[in-house]
Amino acid sequence: MSEITDSNFDKTAVRDTAFRVRMRRFFGVLQRLTSNPTTVVGLVLIALMLAMAIFAPWITEANTPDAYQMPRDWGAVRKPPGTPGHWLGTTNEGGDVFYGVIWGSRTSLQLSLYVVGSTMVIGTIIGSVAGLVGGWVDEVLMRIVDVFLSIPELIFALAIAAVLGPSFTNIIIALAMVIWVKYARIMRAQVIQIKQNDYVDAARVIGDSKLNIYLKDILPNAVTPVTVQATLDMGNVVLIGATLSFIGLSEAGIAEWGVLVSEGQAGIASGRWWASTFPGLMIFLWALAFNLVGDGLRDALDPRIEGR
Amino acid sequence: MTTIKWRNHLTAALVGGALAFALPLDATAQVNNPGLLVHAADDEPTTLDPAQVEPGEGGETVILQVYDRLLDFGSDSPELIPSLAVEVPSVDNGGISADGLTYTFKLREGVTFHDGTAFSADDVKYSWDRAIEMDLPEGNAGALADVIASSEVVDDMTFSVTLNDPSASFLNSVVTAMVASVVSQDAVEANGGIEAGVPNQYMAGNMVGTGPYKFVTWNRNENLQLEVNDNYWGDNAKLDVRIEIGGDPDVRVLGLRAGEFDTIETDPSFVADIEGADGVTIFKGGLLLEPLHIGMNLNIPEGSLPPEDTISEDFFHDPRIRQAFNHAFDYEAFLNGPLAGYGEFNPHYVPIGLFGHDASAPVYNKQNAAEAERLFREAGVWDEGFSVSVITEEGNLFALMCLVLKDSLERLNPKFRINVLAVAESVFDDAHASNPLEYAMWAKNADPAADPNFYLNAYAHPDGEWGEVHGFGNGYRDAAKIAGLIDSAAIELDPAKRAATYAEIQRELYEDPMWIIGAQEGIVMAHRSWLEGFAMQPLWPRPSLKFSLFDK
Amino acid sequence: MQLRDYILRRLLVLPILIIGVSIVVFTLTRVGGSPIGIYLSHEMTPSEVAEIQARFGLDQPVWVQYLQWAKGILQGDFGYSGVAAAPVSDIFPLKLAATMELAVAAGCVALFLGITLGTFAGARRNKLPDHITRIVAVSGASLPQFWFGILLLIVFWAQLGIAPIGRSDATIFASIAHPTGLYTIDAILAGSLTAFWDAVWHLILPALTLGYGATAIIARMMRSALVEELQQDYVDAARAKGLAEKIVLKRHARRNALVPTVTVIGLTFGFLLQGTITIEIIYRWPGLGRWMADSVLRGDQGTLMTYVLFTSVLFLLVNLIVDVVYANLDRRVTLGK
Repeated sequence: MSEITDSNFDKTAVRDTAFRVRMRRFFGVLQRLTSNPTTVVGLVLIALMLAMAIFAPWITEANTPDAYQMPRDWGAVRKPPGTPGHWLGTTNEGGDVFYGVIWGSRTSLQLSLYVVGSTMVIGTIIGSVAGLVGGWVDEVLMRIVDVFLSIPELIFALAIAAVLGPSFTNIIIALAMVIWVKYARIMRAQVIQIKQNDYVDAARVIGDSKLNIYLKDILPNAVTPVTVQATLDMGNVVLIGATLSFIGLSEAGIAEWGVLVSEGQAGIASGRWWASTFPGLMIFLWALAFNLVGDGLRDALDPRIEGR
Repeated sequence: MTTIKWRNHLTAALVGGALAFALPLDATAQVNNPGLLVHAADDEPTTLDPAQVEPGEGGETVILQVYDRLLDFGSDSPELIPSLAVEVPSVDNGGISADGLTYTFKLREGVTFHDGTAFSADDVKYSWDRAIEMDLPEGNAGALADVIASSEVVDDMTFSVTLNDPSASFLNSVVTAMVASVVSQDAVEANGGIEAGVPNQYMAGNMVGTGPYKFVTWNRNENLQLEVNDNYWGDNAKLDVRIEIGGDPDVRVLGLRAGEFDTIETDPSFVADIEGADGVTIFKGGLLLEPLHIGMNLNIPEGSLPPEDTISEDFFHDPRIRQAFNHAFDYEAFLNGPLAGYGEFNPHYVPIGLFGHDASAPVYNKQNAAEAERLFREAGVWDEGFSVSVITEEGNLFALMCLVLKDSLERLNPKFRINVLAVAESVFDDAHASNPLEYAMWAKNADPAADPNFYLNAYAHPDGEWGEVHGFGNGYRDAAKIAGLIDSAAIELDPAKRAATYAEIQRELYEDPMWIIGAQEGIVMAHRSWLEGFAMQPLWPRPSLKFSLFDK
Repeated sequence: MQLRDYILRRLLVLPILIIGVSIVVFTLTRVGGSPIGIYLSHEMTPSEVAEIQARFGLDQPVWVQYLQWAKGILQGDFGYSGVAAAPVSDIFPLKLAATMELAVAAGCVALFLGITLGTFAGARRNKLPDHITRIVAVSGASLPQFWFGILLLIVFWAQLGIAPIGRSDATIFASIAHPTGLYTIDAILAGSLTAFWDAVWHLILPALTLGYGATAIIARMMRSALVEELQQDYVDAARAKGLAEKIVLKRHARRNALVPTVTVIGLTFGFLLQGTITIEIIYRWPGLGRWMADSVLRGDQGTLMTYVLFTSVLFLLVNLIVDVVYANLDRRVTLGK
């Protein structure tokens, strides 16, 4: 048997095969996803809401000077749905509910993308560091993660937002500070598990740098549970954010679903249901869509995955 | 000395406004909770101790029912009536000394506290001294401490007070204030006594007074219960009371309609929801004496403004800017929107309904975009624009007022930006309590008082409370003149001369405004039609009701 | 590792976690705004503000403040609630009892609905009933609870007038003694049917709203656990032996599937705990959640942080118990890494 040396061992060939395997797996997952009707419902909903968010300025004219402020007509307060010019009625401050519903999708998209995006990155980095470096760094980081996980999500976000003050940005910050730990935990577990796999050992034997191994072998395989979590979080974040707004921790007068429900609920008891029902419905549909897809994703990928 | 006739205006407002929109009683409706009055409040008391309670907060209304003071306001007129004192002191009856400095009160005999102990002048002196000595920052001790030089117990039933200076407002502003309530000396001494600067926990959660109601219990966040005092020296109350705490405004409205609540506190925007409901009567009477205002800071410390603000520290020194803001605000939008039409505009700074209010003085009551633009251009800020933050409490009328300000200015010129910082109440209080203020603008309402001198001193005088904090001296065209006018009116005992001075002050302040006054909120109260004897007196602490007058 | 060692290890780590949480919580109070904001008023002069600051020990270095606060907590002094105008430790037990009652009732709803739905769906995997059940269950988890609660209130309270608001009728409540603070239990102890019915009557709507939300967590787990169970060999064997499908399902598969479902009790508990905040606001339930929401809005940080600390400790303990119970049930689980 000839010696395996750097020169005659074709790393690229191995990586190539690995890549092809992954692509096949990916399409298999996609197939399983789309065969599940509930997941399809979720995907359709997501597509609709994305379209709403992207095409908002064409659906209803942007408010000046700040598109994310509700357009207020103090002369047309509390109008019911069907009023000309205000299809879904107006709020207590004369804000157009339809505008709020459409532009709120943009706000929700921003909220979920910022939070999930940043927490994925932060959590991945910290979790990977913990998993790769190991030792006391791992212990310390994971203790911190454990402490953060000991505090229930909503309550933690509530406390942070209460301390920072009511504003949309602060809600993003509060949610990010609470959620990153989930990704850290997932990444770390993945790193540790995959570290022990044979092909990683093989790569190390042939002298691949740790970073290379990490980027090309570990990271792609860890994508799976992270994706499931991220999908679920896209919905969850908007839900928690809306709850925080309802309690009163967001800005007044902005086009955000949670704020609209909160501002609109004073009057529900007197029959003015529209100002909070429509935005509330949107929150529900958004969370439902991502939950359905996330669930389907989890099933399609591996029924044994333990996510949180 | 003749009784000051300034209250004629208030009487007119009350009588005129007391047209209750009576709705036909549902013939089949039974009276819910007979013998018990259920009132839904929006604010929970933070303390029940007169020496600790902050003017305007929820505890004051409970104190009104359970404790008495030497004098009081009647329900149908702003005249003072005897309470624990048997007559209103005046120069004629010898109750006020010739130099106007000493007041002597003849006290009522045979009054007992809720715990059975007898009432005497000792208790009055003890109550007042206690508030002054404790001097709690959150309380209103200043009202007493600032004007009283000394007090003495002449005999068991006679109490006299000597002031530092003659005052036209001592009787109706100080003697009737909740901080001047009479508590039982025995009860306090048995439960912690007096400690300067330290709240008394017993008194914060218990009440021993002489009033028509006895305190029963306080279930935090839920309700507070009072029962009729059968040994009251005056007309007995007829119904026990349960004050329901917390809950959202619309829950209160629903509860009223369902008959669970007899009276509710609500704001004008809910009237539309109650009008026409079965068995509900809406009482629209007069105006609150708490003008809604937005302050302008002329004393901004260097570099302290939020980063989004682009104005210079002396932005509001220019009277043209201040006038321009006043012209730019869309008053009608504010009145018709958030206030649902209940309120009126008033000039700076004597509220409608008080003595000295001159209805013919010029008022900012309509948006004048042209004038605002002209003034902004003259001041040189039109082309560049500016961005300024206004801080306010969130979720209430003040936040809405700021939104109207924001919309008013931003629609006038897109280069103008108003950032509304709506924060939690206590965060606002914290910011508000600092001196100097680190914000250029803030929104709140004025504290209610029975005398115009209070308002002008606090909100207009260059050396007054807000004059100092905001640096009015930096902005008034003629600060000395305004100060002089206010000071002379404070000690002027001739009502005609006093009224004329106040009329002149109002005109000066129109040209040189230090505030944007959104409106004076209208009083709107809703109650079940089965309630009898309903009456409101804005000079009583919010919600301006004395439960002892009601019956079912 | 032995079960005993596992328990010991978890117990040893517990205090460290609690201290960690307390540091996080304390840091939050000092990071933003004013921790004593609630005691201030807009009329105070700066010297008066300083007086209040000294009263609450804020003029001392931060670490000293932390130690004082921690010492206080250990001695049972949880500070003063500006919102309730009373010491926190006085008010806490009452509010806790009210919240626990609601959470337990909602938990029962969630357990019943979740297990039923999960079994129903798992047995009919990938068929229409499965999909519909799934959407129903996931809807529960996607609903903004506050919105759902408001809707139910409008229909049942405002329009139909058949459901009450709050926890009790004040007169009936006052007619019995309250040794435990749990209205239902106290009513039973006092032998008062009126009071018991009053308690249950007020519990129905809030418990349903809150419980429905938690249903998805349990249903999801129950379904997948059941699916896995049904794929086991013994099921095929039982079917081959001719046992009725129903018996196979109910007596064997479901019982075994309940075991992994235990693991989500911790999660469900967390969900219920957080859900009480908005549910209590809407239904005017006098529990911890509403008190905390008021504290947040009024800026009463001291009370809020006590609540955060308390719920975290509770959360940790519940999860520990659940993990231990599960480990006991299923020895296949590796106890520790």
